[in-house]
Amino acid sequence: MSTFTQERVPDPAGLRRALDERGYLADPGLVTALFLALRLPQPLLLEGEAGVGKTEAAKALADVLGGPLVRLQCYDGLDAAEALYEWNHARQLLGIRLAESRGERLAEADLFTEEYLLRRPVLTALTHPGPEPAVLLIDEIDRADDDFEAFLLEVLAESAVTIPEVGTIRAVVPPVVVLTSNRTRDLHDALKRRCLYHWIDYPDPERLVRIVRRRVPGTSAELAEAISAAVRRLRTLEIQKAPGIAESIDWLAALALLGVRRLDAEAAGATLGALLKYREDQELARERGLEWLVGSGRDA
Amino acid sequence: MTPEPAPGPPPGPRLPLFDTAEFGGRLGEALRRSGLPVTPERTVCFLRSLRLAPPVDRAALYWTARLAFVTDRELIAPFERVFEAVFGGLGGVPAERGDRTAGPPGAEEEQVRAPAPGARTAPGRAPAGAGPVRAPAPRAGEDADGPAGTLPTLGSTAEVVAHKDFSALEAAELAALDRLMELIALRTPLRRTRRRDADPHGPRVDPRRTLRAIRTTGLEPVRLARSRHRLRRRPLVLLCDVSGSMEPYARAYLRLFPRAAAVGVSAEVFVFATRLTRLTPVLRHSGRYGVDAALRRVGAAASDWSGGTRIGHALAEFNDRFGRRGMARGAVVVIFSDGWEGEDPGAVGREAARLRRLAHRVVWVNPRKAAPGYLPLAGGMAAALPHCDEFVSGHSFAALTEVAEAIGKGSGGRGIGRGIGRRGEKGSGRGRGRG
Repeated sequence: MSTFTQERVPDPAGLRRALDERGYLADPGLVTALFLALRLPQPLLLEGEAGVGKTEAAKALADVLGGPLVRLQCYDGLDAAEALYEWNHARQLLGIRLAESRGERLAEADLFTEEYLLRRPVLTALTHPGPEPAVLLIDEIDRADDDFEAFLLEVLAESAVTIPEVGTIRAVVPPVVVLTSNRTRDLHDALKRRCLYHWIDYPDPERLVRIVRRRVPGTSAELAEAISAAVRRLRTLEIQKAPGIAESIDWLAALALLGVRRLDAEAAGATLGALLKYREDQELARERGLEWLVGSGRDA
Repeated sequence: MTPEPAPGPPPGPRLPLFDTAEFGGRLGEALRRSGLPVTPERTVCFLRSLRLAPPVDRAALYWTARLAFVTDRELIAPFERVFEAVFGGLGGVPAERGDRTAGPPGAEEEQVRAPAPGARTAPGRAPAGAGPVRAPAPRAGEDADGPAGTLPTLGSTAEVVAHKDFSALEAAELAALDRLMELIALRTPLRRTRRRDADPHGPRVDPRRTLRAIRTTGLEPVRLARSRHRLRRRPLVLLCDVSGSMEPYARAYLRLFPRAAAVGVSAEVFVFATRLTRLTPVLRHSGRYGVDAALRRVGAAASDWSGGTRIGHALAEFNDRFGRRGMARGAVVVIFSDGWEGEDPGAVGREAARLRRLAHRVVWVNPRKAAPGYLPLAGGMAAALPHCDEFVSGHSFAALTEVAEAIGKGSGGRGIGRGIGRRGEKGSGRGRGRG
C-alpha cells in the first residue's frame, strides 16, 4: 500500500472528517467499511435500497483521495470488450497500411502493443499512474450477466488484467474498488469472497436532516426537520417506492427554489412530484392527507 | 499487496487480555455454528481489520466483525444474534445503525428470512448443517425407503402417483414423486440479450472478427464475419402459497425449483402465508431434500402458519422488495395459490396488475381448479384473474406438465430462430400470451 493513502487516511476518524469536509456524512459502519477497503486493501461490495447513497459514497471517497473516479455502469450483456479493454482495430489497420507504404516489415507482435489498446474503465483505473489511487466504481453489478463477474475476479483479487497478446498488466497504484448492487440477483460466492460486504441502512431522521441540509445549503433547520419528519411519515405508508435520501434532497431543493420557508400542505402538494414518482403513491399520500404529511398543528 | 504492519504504537485499548488470533478464530467458529459461511480467509480478514482499525469501543468491534464476516444482508440478523450473545455484556448498543423503525414494509421480517436454528434450538442439539446456506441432512424417512427398496415397483407406483391429487399423497409416495419430478424441465421462453455470438448467417457484420480475419488474408476482405444476438432463457420466479389449505401442494410445487436450474434457467423461489419468505438460498444449496426442512423452518418462523393468507400483502412485498428492482422484470412469474385472500381481495387484484406490468408473463396455478364445477369465485382469485396470462390447475403430477407448458409458452418450441420472432409480442399489447 502506498504511503500516500496511509498519510491521507490514517484512521477511521480521519476518513470520517475528510468525508464530512466534502459534504458526505457517513455513518460509522460505512466509514469503517471504506477505511478497511482502502487500507487492507480489499474491494468493497455495497448493498442497500435505491437512493441511500451507494454511488455517492464512492464519489466522495475519490474526492477525499484526490484521484479520478472511474465508473463502470453495468447492464445486461456487458462484456469484457466494454469493461476491460479492446483492440483498436481501425488503428491497427492504419498501422499496417502505413508500414506497407513505407516498405517496412511489420511483425504481428508490433500490432499488439499497449498503444493499440483501447482502455475501457477497468483498464483505465488499473493504469492510473498515481500517486493517489483511482476509485473504480462498478455500479449495479447485479445488472450484468453472472458470467461477467468472472472477468472481474482477477481485477478484484490481484489488481491486474491479463491480456493474452500482451501479458499481465498490473496496477501501478491499485485502485480502490467499490461495487454496488441492488440485489436483483445473488452474486456469485467467488466474487463475494474477495470483497468486504456492507449493507447501508436507511438513515435515521436526525441523520437525514443533517444530510439534506448539507446538500442543499442555506436551508433552515426547521424546514429540513419538517421534511425529514414528512419523509418518515411517508415511509410508514405502504407505498411502492419509499422516498430515499436522493428524493428527500430533491424535494428540499424544489421547496428552496420556490422560496418556501415553512412546509405546509399547499407547498407539499405542489412539490410532491419531487418525492413520489408513482401516481398510485401520490394518490395514497393525498388520500392520507397532506395535512397529515406535513404534520400540521406542530407535531411533537 | 502485502499487509502493512500496524502503524506505530496502537492507539487506545487493543483487547490486550487475550490472544487476538484465538479470539478471531473463536468468534469465527461461533458464527459458523450459527450458519454464517465463515472461512479461514474471512477470519484472517477480520484479524487484519482489527489491526488497522483497533476496536476502541463495542460499536467499532461490531462493524469490523460485521464487515469481515457478513457477506449478505440475510446474514446480518444471525450475525447480530451471535454478536449479542458473545459481547452482550460489554455495554453500549452499536450506535447509528440506521432507521430500523421506519423501514419499508417487510423490513422487520429479517428473522423469518434468515432463520438461524442455532439460535432457536437449545445449544446442546445444534442441528447439523443449520443456517441459510447449508444443505439440511436428508430426512430419516427418505433414507428408510431408499431407491433400492422401491425401484422394482416404481412403474406401478409412478403411474398411481402421477395422477393422484397432491393432497392425497402419502409420505412414501412423495419419494416416488421426487423421481417423477426428474422428468419435468421448466424451460422459460427465450429472449434476446445484448451479447452477440458468431453466426455465419447472422444479420449483422461483426467488425472486430472481420478485421481479425482480414489480417490473415493480406487485408483483402474475403469474408465478412457475422454475428447474431445471443439468446437466453428468461428468469423464472416461483411464488408459493404455504398457508394451511395449500400445504400439501406446496411440498410438491417447491420440488419444481431444482427443475428450472437443471435446464439452466435462473430461478427464484418464495413462499408466503401471511408474509413473504425467500427460499432461493436454502433450496439452491439443498435441492429437493431441502424442501421439507425448509417448509418446517418457515412453519416454525411464521406464527400463524395455517391461519389466514394475505396474498395481496405478500405480492405487494414481492413487488416492492424484489420484483420492481429487477427480479420480475422480463421474467415469467408463477403464483401457486388457491386465491383465498383473508384480508383484502382488492389488494390481490391491484398487486397482480402491478406484477403483470413488471413481468413478461404471469402464470397462476390453482389446484382447486381441478375440482368439478369450480368457478374462480374466491375473492382474491377473481380479482387476480384478469391480470394473469395463464390459469392452470397443477393439482397432480400429470397436471404439472401443463404448468411446465404454460411457463414455456412463447418460446416457440426448441427452435432458437423462432424464439426471436416472438419478441414483438410483449410490446404490442402483450397479445395475452396465448399464441
